[in-house]
Amino acid sequence: MSTENLLKVSPTKRILGRVAPENFIGRSDHLREITALAPSTSRRRGLLVHAAPAAGASELLRQAYDKLFQQHGGASPIYFAFTRQEQTVTAAARRFLHTFLSQLIAHRRNEPSFVNAPPSLRDLIDLADPADYEWVERLVMTFERARVGSDELALVRLCFSAPALAASRGARCVIIIDEIQNIEKLTGEVELGNEIAQVSMHADVPFVLCGLRRGLLDELSGGNAPHRFEGFGTIHLENLKEADARTLVERLADTERVALSDETRDLIVQLFNGSPFYIASFMYAAHRDNASLTSFLDCQKIYVDEILGGRINRRFNSILEELTPSVTTRRSLVRLLHDAATNAGGKSPVEAWRRRLELEPDELYPLMFALHVRELASFNATFMEISTESLWRDYLRASYRLQVATEPRALVVADTLVETLKRAPQTMARHYRRAAALGLLELLAQFDEQQVAASLLHYDRFSRIYHGIEPEEIEPGLDAETDLIRLPQIVHAASCASFHPPMLLVCDEERCAVAHGFDAMPYTDSNEVVWLAVEIDSKQEAGRAVTEVWCDRLTQVGYSCGFKRFKLWLVAPEGFSAEASELLNERNAFSSSRKQLELLTARLSPEVTDGREAAGIDAPDEFEMVIPMGSDTELIAAHTVEQIARRLDFPAEAINQIKHALIEACINAAEHSLSPDRKIYQRFRLESDKLVVTVSSRGIIVPSPTNAVTNGTEAREEKNGRRGWGLKLIRTLMDEVEFERVDDGTRLRMTKYLHR
Amino acid sequence: MVDSHDRSPVRSERSGDIGVIYASDYLNKLSGERIERECRAHLSAGCRALVVDFKNTGLVNSIGVSIMLGVIDAAERARAPLVFSNVNDQAAQLFELLGLMRHAALAKDESAALAMLTEVNLQPSLSVLVGELT
Repeated sequence: MSTENLLKVSPTKRILGRVAPENFIGRSDHLREITALAPSTSRRRGLLVHAAPAAGASELLRQAYDKLFQQHGGASPIYFAFTRQEQTVTAAARRFLHTFLSQLIAHRRNEPSFVNAPPSLRDLIDLADPADYEWVERLVMTFERARVGSDELALVRLCFSAPALAASRGARCVIIIDEIQNIEKLTGEVELGNEIAQVSMHADVPFVLCGLRRGLLDELSGGNAPHRFEGFGTIHLENLKEADARTLVERLADTERVALSDETRDLIVQLFNGSPFYIASFMYAAHRDNASLTSFLDCQKIYVDEILGGRINRRFNSILEELTPSVTTRRSLVRLLHDAATNAGGKSPVEAWRRRLELEPDELYPLMFALHVRELASFNATFMEISTESLWRDYLRASYRLQVATEPRALVVADTLVETLKRAPQTMARHYRRAAALGLLELLAQFDEQQVAASLLHYDRFSRIYHGIEPEEIEPGLDAETDLIRLPQIVHAASCASFHPPMLLVCDEERCAVAHGFDAMPYTDSNEVVWLAVEIDSKQEAGRAVTEVWCDRLTQVGYSCGFKRFKLWLVAPEGFSAEASELLNERNAFSSSRKQLELLTARLSPEVTDGREAAGIDAPDEFEMVIPMGSDTELIAAHTVEQIARRLDFPAEAINQIKHALIEACINAAEHSLSPDRKIYQRFRLESDKLVVTVSSRGIIVPSPTNAVTNGTEAREEKNGRRGWGLKLIRTLMDEVEFERVDDGTRLRMTKYLHR
Repeated sequence: MVDSHDRSPVRSERSGDIGVIYASDYLNKLSGERIERECRAHLSAGCRALVVDFKNTGLVNSIGVSIMLGVIDAAERARAPLVFSNVNDQAAQLFELLGLMRHAALAKDESAALAMLTEVNLQPSLSVLVGELT
């Protein structure tokens, strides 16, 4: 390979990748797994990539292709995707061979232009490296003869055996085959998925086989017994994790020059559930419209545009068009999907589908299966359950109103915008609640017969022993305890709502968990146990009434699910009152506070992480400060405001009042917002006759479903309780106090006048 | 990082039948709980009255104050008079606002508090003490 050729590809040059490598976020491990197949010493024979819809699997493979292409002298990458447009198995096989040869020669000649504009097969013979010329020519000639013959199987095998032939002649490749779910609708005598599976398992060439996770293995089995794919690794490609999705939004905003705020960034992540495809579509739309994304309204406008006419709309449209080419059937399908989505539980019987779509079983079942594979619905033998993904549901609702109910477009746009805008704060609130949840499910999943101090699961004991004790003194105390509890070995843990959907009416999904396990060996009926755990929403020690309600609820779940033996575990952030503890002991239930849970978590998994960023300063008479919540950091704020107030010559008493008001405001922010970054943002503005202090934190204060249901009980307990005085104090200590409503919650503004 | 327990920890001592608890420089949840713990310990050990001294306390917050109500409850249940001493003006204002002063007496300093408790001869009824002192 000449030096001239080496210079043709710069390290960052994109060939198939549609996203700049620096904007390709959160997939470095997967990229490494794929590129690690290139060396002939690779331990793996290949990879199966089970992809969630719109999780960016194709882009992952394209980025992997570009990386491999740049490793000159190594294995040649070949990327081939089955398309929705292709009709027959033989057409797909022919295109595979053409793609294979053009990409192989492109890599070996370092001529990336061949990848996107492939020369003809005849031309490829001439362009082949001298070392490859002979076998390429022979392969093309054989192919020319086979394509005019009638032996479809021979043609398919010839095309897909080309990589093995190349390898035997010293041209090692990595074969990446994408969108395998599209094989399903190819017509022909040959079961193509099965052929590909056979080739990938037996050729001495690494294969990456990628498709939608609900259909990949079915397609590759082609109706035969499932293949074992020995020596293959597996990648489960999900949407991006939240931190990665946030980074993606920021990078795209930067690249596309779209103004963004932290609040809207987080909303975008939630709107699209971390899907890189949808996030990118959304950000490109904002760029196209020259829109800024600094308020929830900005975001929802673009969202509605995308649902009703942008790339997101086209994606869903093209899926429905592909599944139901007939316009009439498609309208019926939209009506049916919409109706099912509005049913309780989003379910409708298969029989209703058959009658309403007027399709024969051989047309109906592939349609239902295709919806299932694309995760727009779940096909459960006797009924279809429509996906609860809000993006899909918003699209369905709008499509139904436009195409079936033929409502005016302006009305649909306006209604959708208003509805989604109203939903945005709830979406964020849900996210914050989820982020603030104590992680019962994850903790239960770690139970594996460890022995822990009994006080960790009995709040009354813990409180009696450790109340007011230094945190660092608690650990040795726990170590010294002789009364120990052996945790069960948990074999399956899931949200309570997965077992008993009505729980969603009274509790966030992540706050109630059901864990199946064994509290002793061997695995026998008598040792089988189910733990039912719930995190109660309570700012102070949970009282007896609330505790009783939750004991009853969990017991009811246990009975209605038919659990033979179950244990209750109630968790309240501040623990339980003496009366509640008495009840818990009567019910033989476990109880823990947030502190106990933290200690238990630390004992079961000692790694804990955290970390975020800060803000800047603007006007000369304005000061800004960001402090982390907790660890008495409100004292730092109080000392700072003291120095600032001195500049305006406030008297000592007024300074003291400001300090105390600020302390209360910080405590209030920490206690009452489900803050994702655990930071308190403060602004101090000096004016000629006053000091204005603004305290805000990210996170929305909304009543949770738990509160809504237990309201009466909690109100009674609050009356007797001794918390919630902060605001009252602030109002007394400062001259003016007001709440400012912002997209992402409330902001407290306090003013103290110099002379009043 | 400011960390209250590194600065002025809660201490306590006993003066005859009276337990004297010295609050730290910031009355918050943790230091409040420590005071509460100390108070309960003194009551369990047979003290018949309590003094909580706030000489070192510059700042208080509402959670810390709310825990003081727990101290008041404990003292009432034990029929032990309770006096807060050395409370600065700001803290006194907050105690007043949050209703603590209805249940506890204030003294200028520790010796005044001890004198008060000696004068009333450790009357068992807190209300009697509060009544006598106000």
